[in-house]
Amino acid sequence: MQKDVVEQVLNHPKYAALVKGRTRASMIFFSLTLVIYAGFILTMAYLPDVFARPLGPDWTMSVGLCVGLLVACSAVILIALYVYFSNKWFDPLLAEIVRDVQ
Amino acid sequence: MRTISKLMSAALLAVAAPAAFAETGHGANTEAIIMFLLFIAGTMGITWWAARRTQTTSDFYTAGGGISGFQNGLAIAGDYISAASFLGIAGMVYVSGYYGVIYAIGFLFGWPVVMFLVAERLRNLGRYNFADVTAFRLEQTPVRILAASASLLIIALYLIAQMVGAGKLIVLLFGIEYKFAVVIIGALMMVYVFFGGMTATTWVQIIKAVLMLSGGTLLSVLVLYAFNFSPDAMLAEAVTVHPYEAELMSPGEAVTSNPLNALSLGLALAFGTAGLPHILMRFFTVSSAQEARKSVIWASSFIGYFYILTFIIGFGAIALLVRNPEFFHTGPDGSFNMLSDLIGGTNMAAVHLSNAVGGSLLLGFLAAVTFATIVAVVAGLALAGAASISHDLYANVIARGRSTEKQEMRISKISILVLGVLSILLGIIFEDQNVAFMVGLAFAIAASANFPVLVLSISWRGCTTRGAVLGGFIGLVVATLWVVLSKTVWVDVFGNAEPIIPFPNPGIVSIPLAFIAIWFFSITDRTARADRERAAFEALTVRSQTGIGRSGAVAH
Repeated sequence: MQKDVVEQVLNHPKYAALVKGRTRASMIFFSLTLVIYAGFILTMAYLPDVFARPLGPDWTMSVGLCVGLLVACSAVILIALYVYFSNKWFDPLLAEIVRDVQ
Repeated sequence: MRTISKLMSAALLAVAAPAAFAETGHGANTEAIIMFLLFIAGTMGITWWAARRTQTTSDFYTAGGGISGFQNGLAIAGDYISAASFLGIAGMVYVSGYYGVIYAIGFLFGWPVVMFLVAERLRNLGRYNFADVTAFRLEQTPVRILAASASLLIIALYLIAQMVGAGKLIVLLFGIEYKFAVVIIGALMMVYVFFGGMTATTWVQIIKAVLMLSGGTLLSVLVLYAFNFSPDAMLAEAVTVHPYEAELMSPGEAVTSNPLNALSLGLALAFGTAGLPHILMRFFTVSSAQEARKSVIWASSFIGYFYILTFIIGFGAIALLVRNPEFFHTGPDGSFNMLSDLIGGTNMAAVHLSNAVGGSLLLGFLAAVTFATIVAVVAGLALAGAASISHDLYANVIARGRSTEKQEMRISKISILVLGVLSILLGIIFEDQNVAFMVGLAFAIAASANFPVLVLSISWRGCTTRGAVLGGFIGLVVATLWVVLSKTVWVDVFGNAEPIIPFPNPGIVSIPLAFIAIWFFSITDRTARADRERAAFEALTVRSQTGIGRSGAVAH
């Protein structure tokens, strides 16, 4: 990659916004992931009785199993949201920068 | 090329097979063998087609960058759901219920980590493997030696675990001899990878993933059908018949007796994925960061869906297998222990279940898919190993960038043959060893050596070669020593009485330690090289964010 292309991108008025927005998005999503995942593991490890309880009086399924399934779904949902935001906000911005530079 | 493939399959199947079957007393499963032969025929055809498209090193390692996000998502799912993880998680649920669920969730949470921290930037910065990314602004030689050491160790551990687990499984499923099973796997893998490179490997993964997803779905539907589609009725039955009773639904002893160990395991599972060389390599087969994103969403959806099927299969096996004493070694009075007497061990729970609910046809299908899975995963590992040897060690360390494309390709092909023979030998050597710890150790090394170096080198300006290399090696050594000195190896493999390390999973110590070491040895690095590397961060960021100047954007 030539130096002047790097300079051009760095000087592009929208580049800073792109980097800042993306960094913030991945940090927010990563933190959410950690909170959900660590919350799940810590609850399991230190409050196992909460997870051992059945979901209701007529249920065999425990709170832990149900929460586990929801946590599993949340991983996919978080990824889907990230892809949605990237497509909607960051891709147009990126396309603009690439078009101006090349 | 066509003749070679034909010869290979003919030799494998027609000549050697009857002899090997005759040696074991087991009845061979005809349905399984026919379905597996169909799979081989189909994938050999693909390999022949892929071989004509595999001319350059880029074709060989990245399928020319022409795989779509959806296809790559399926292929990643194929790579990730190995026979060990499918049968292993179903078996763990069968033995201890909820505990198996924890593993599956840990494996799944590797994917948000990959997506939010590495996937897109990885695609924009690298060519063939993740070492291209860590070496982007750092010094080639030391960084690639680190990446190759960790990657080859991970691949070796994974390969041994797959070969040994697979060999034993195939003995049970197909009634053939262990050594013969290991040779078939190694030989098929060599044919796919040697001739078809990444294109053939990817399509083998895609076919296998589709077969596995449909087989798992069918099995789960049949299980739920037995309980009028009420999962809770299935769980109620499982709790009634299992020796753990209601404990089956709770985290259990394994977690509560040592919460730190559970936390540590959780960390290694979630961060290990983002450091597995054969998984990261798949991101270079797509054309852009956008397609890389699509790969992750498809991969995680398929993997998440498949793990949910695995829970149904595991709990279903508890509820249904006890009704069929023929799946157990029974005592003279017909009694059996559902955990210790299952024929072939608890990892066979899913396989027996397919026989129980779908008869020999479904059993044959699942057995064939399992065999296909093993071959496909081994092929993916071998390709990543060959990339480490030819692209990192040979082209960039030994030849210091002066090698030609042709030489690199030749070394790749030799590496594939060596890795194939090596995996067969390792499979035979480790036949009677306890290999259960190996996948866990592979994840721990990936999370403690590759992951911190990769993340910090692309997202922290201050990261220098000295920091990355020292930190990465510290993570690698601490994770390995920890596992070796803990119960899993020190007691269970070496037979010592007491472990030296209190709990077996290193993640909670080794991962933060690697990050801290990279940070410390980077900020104290006052060399001119370190200043150049910090200054090069802007160019790295421009490329990682925009993809301008990235390689392999189009298929040819």
